Amino acid sequence: MDFLAAAKPFIQFPGGAKFSIGFLALFHTSVGALAIGFAFVVTILQIVGYVRKDNRYDLLAKRVQLWHVCIYNIGTISAIGLVFALSGLFPQFWSQIFVQFFWTMIVEELLFFMLATTLTLHYFFWDTMWGHKKLHIFMGALLTPMFFLQVFIINGMSSYMMTPGFAEGQVSQWSGTAGILGWDKLAFYNPTFLMLTLHRTAANFAYGGFIVAAVCGVWLYRTKRRKLQVWYESGGRLAFSVAFTSLLTLPIIGFFYAWVLKYHGKEAYGNLMHGRGDVVAGGIDWWWVKQLIVPVMIGMGLVFSRRASKQKVEFAIPMPSVYTTIALIYLIFYLGMAIQMTWLFFWASLAAAVVGGLWARHLLNRHAGSGRAVFVLMGILSCFTVCLGGYIREASRPRFVSPSGDRVAGFNRIPQYDNIYRPEERAANVDIRMVRGKPPYADELPARPDRPGLKPETVADLVSYRCISCHTLERIHFYNGSDWDRVVGRMKAYGMRATDEEMQKIIAYLAGNGEQGDSVPTP
Amino acid sequence: MDLPVIETPVFPRWVWIEEITYSHIPIATVVTAFMLLAPLFEYIGYRRGDPRWERLSKSLIWFTMILFSPGAALGTGIPMYIMGTYPEFWSRWVNLFFWPLIVQFMFFLIEVFFLFFMYYLTWDRWANRKRLHISMGVCAATFGYLVQVVWDSLGSYMMTPGGVALPAVDQPVGWAPGAMLNPSFPFLLAHRTFGNFSYVMLLTGGVFALRHMSQRRKNPASENTAYFDWASSTCFTIGFLCFFAMPVIGWFYARVIQREAPVAFMALMGGHSAVYVTIKMSMIAILLFVGGAYVIKRHGENKAIAWGMTAGLLVVFTVILVHPPLKWFGGNPLVWRAVTTAVILGFIRWIWAARGKGDPRRPGWQWAMFVVGLAAFFAFAMGGFIREHSKSPDTVYGEIVKPELTDREADRYLVYDKWLRPRNEVPADLDRNRPDDWRRHVEQARREGLELTDREAERIIHYLEVRH
Repeated sequence: MDFLAAAKPFIQFPGGAKFSIGFLALFHTSVGALAIGFAFVVTILQIVGYVRKDNRYDLLAKRVQLWHVCIYNIGTISAIGLVFALSGLFPQFWSQIFVQFFWTMIVEELLFFMLATTLTLHYFFWDTMWGHKKLHIFMGALLTPMFFLQVFIINGMSSYMMTPGFAEGQVSQWSGTAGILGWDKLAFYNPTFLMLTLHRTAANFAYGGFIVAAVCGVWLYRTKRRKLQVWYESGGRLAFSVAFTSLLTLPIIGFFYAWVLKYHGKEAYGNLMHGRGDVVAGGIDWWWVKQLIVPVMIGMGLVFSRRASKQKVEFAIPMPSVYTTIALIYLIFYLGMAIQMTWLFFWASLAAAVVGGLWARHLLNRHAGSGRAVFVLMGILSCFTVCLGGYIREASRPRFVSPSGDRVAGFNRIPQYDNIYRPEERAANVDIRMVRGKPPYADELPARPDRPGLKPETVADLVSYRCISCHTLERIHFYNGSDWDRVVGRMKAYGMRATDEEMQKIIAYLAGNGEQGDSVPTP
Repeated sequence: MDLPVIETPVFPRWVWIEEITYSHIPIATVVTAFMLLAPLFEYIGYRRGDPRWERLSKSLIWFTMILFSPGAALGTGIPMYIMGTYPEFWSRWVNLFFWPLIVQFMFFLIEVFFLFFMYYLTWDRWANRKRLHISMGVCAATFGYLVQVVWDSLGSYMMTPGGVALPAVDQPVGWAPGAMLNPSFPFLLAHRTFGNFSYVMLLTGGVFALRHMSQRRKNPASENTAYFDWASSTCFTIGFLCFFAMPVIGWFYARVIQREAPVAFMALMGGHSAVYVTIKMSMIAILLFVGGAYVIKRHGENKAIAWGMTAGLLVVFTVILVHPPLKWFGGNPLVWRAVTTAVILGFIRWIWAARGKGDPRRPGWQWAMFVVGLAAFFAFAMGGFIREHSKSPDTVYGEIVKPELTDREADRYLVYDKWLRPRNEVPADLDRNRPDDWRRHVEQARREGLELTDREAERIIHYLEVRH
């Protein structure tokens, strides 16, 4: 066919493949994260309404849930658009990642369906279930854990893309990924999985809460009725307090996230901290932009919370806990500065927080103490940070293949699929070879490619290769003078892959602390 | 690039994909039909000043809203599942249809925007701006229907590729007009459109009939009882009348399949899919006779309905008579034609005799309506299954086979393609004209000019000896 002959090697997309995927992914993330936050805030509002016997909160929850139902579908459809785009624009990447995470994606789909059904029933049978309020609230509360289970699954894939599971310059922790068909546990529970999950969980609570508060802010601007204003102010403050509490945990989690990146995604870490690579787009270092927006938000939230606390209005956060958390954040920065941050960053953050605080005070005074403007502004800023967070994570990662075609450290862990399995195609209409039951590839997996440096040549290599399967090499130094026989035996019980002979070598080596001529491997 | 295939537990892959697909398609079709009909009903209510149409329209959209999210979530599972279990098919298919898929995704987003934000959320707020509100519903319906148009185009390509080859894994094409506008596309689209209207409205009428029964038990004189009586009858009759387009479209559709996918056609007409065709036809017979009896009793006094049904039945009769491979049922074509003529003409005679008689509001008729709705649903579901099953073992007809292909399927394909087709026979002839010795019969045919390699001949003989 002519059109086949004329086909370009890759499908071209306006703005480029990377831009289109980035746009779709950020769009999906911002909508999806909003849905998660909405689900949580709706439950909080319903519980408050039930406990206080105040139907206004329940009514507000219902209105938020209606919007939730509407945006949920946009999130669903944008996800499938992303899948289509990835299939066409990055076919090899997508096929490879699917080989490792197929079953997790199927579980994700099941959760997706359960979520959609629960959400639909929860909203559309709100009035029907009026006499069973506890059951109804419980049904709504189920949405949050289901959402998070979904996000955890995606986090497993996303964090794997950042930290496939080994420190740069060292050997991969996994020795048989080529044989993985559908589920790769070690890839899923990779080094940054936990940190990304914690960070996203708190961020989603914050984002959803701020957006609900922003919606209340918009309603406050639009209504003239005093009764409604009081209602929106109160509902907005509740959502804001939930969101601000979550926001305060983010720098702390983020610090540890960065710490893990330092060891397991060195190049990405360097790109972030030193403003390199795609993190700097259009001449702007988006990492630092995000890092400056966050203190602005903290400053604004602090002033708003302080004002609410002083006025003793409902849903004000206890200020001692706010101050304690901020002190902890300062401490983290202080510790961090010795390792990765700079004084410039510290003072810039402080200045941003002060500017944010002054700005919030001005807005509160202008609206006679009403938080409407602060609500709306924080909603906008939180949307920016969510989008920027996703963008910089992707932009910081080294590319799979460099422009010159060289493999960049750690990628292409799955070798090319040659000789794994080729479904038979029709040959001259007749001569069709059969594939029955267990396909041949299941027993005849290709040998792992012989990469230079993989085979342990010294005992130090052996220690390095076996220990790094589960943890960083720093841990070795925690056991100075230990009973290595017992420690190594325990590691074996945990699943370390080593023959008896190798174990004896490792024990002897560690007990002698490198007496065989090799130094103890360092991280 | 060679792609690894994920194996599935408990059932083979094709069973899983069918189950996942069948969980999505009934929901999607109900949503599409309701979206198309709701603005129309709302407009009728607006023009006539009849609040029952408004209520019916709103209830359809309310139900659409309930179904939409679970349906969309199930829909996202289909490509996910195919990517893992049929990776080569998916990669090559996406290479050919990348842009249509992206466009479909945009249509989907626009549909959600109009349906949720501009139609559903504004229903009460725009009560005094009915024209604007209806136009929003029309926009939602248009984009919803465009999503169906794209999928029907992509789906029909799998049956009749129309000479457009499936590109290789590393041969991205983006899109090909010839593949999109493949030979069976307009017929599949038309068949599915009227099929949706028909089965969805019959089923809705059946469900409303049960609600009518329940309301009448509670309070026979209530407004709700009167409404559900009217709604069940209206929806059921619309569904029943829409059905009459189906045999005409189906006849053209079958002719295209006969020309473009002859092996699949053989599978339908007496081959391995024929049993499912027979089940489908049985469902349609229930729909036609029981549904027809209800409609004529309910609306018999309206001569236009009686004439309309008569005309529809004559169309069905004509299609049965002119449908080419009547011999596929195995019997004598003359007997088949005589029985069909007697049954249909007899039914038409009964229609004119029974019209307007009896009480169609008796509970037995409410249950009958529900049963007809279910029969229509199963006939619809069976249609999709038959289409996929008939082209087995191909995933895309003549282009790519299923990875789980078995010896039996491959040999059967060979018999259809290399034995029956050149001899202008149908699968029923294998039993009807069974020789004493298949080997001698095949060798004789080869000597008379039938082109078969030795290996093909051996496999055909083996299949015929074992199966026939």
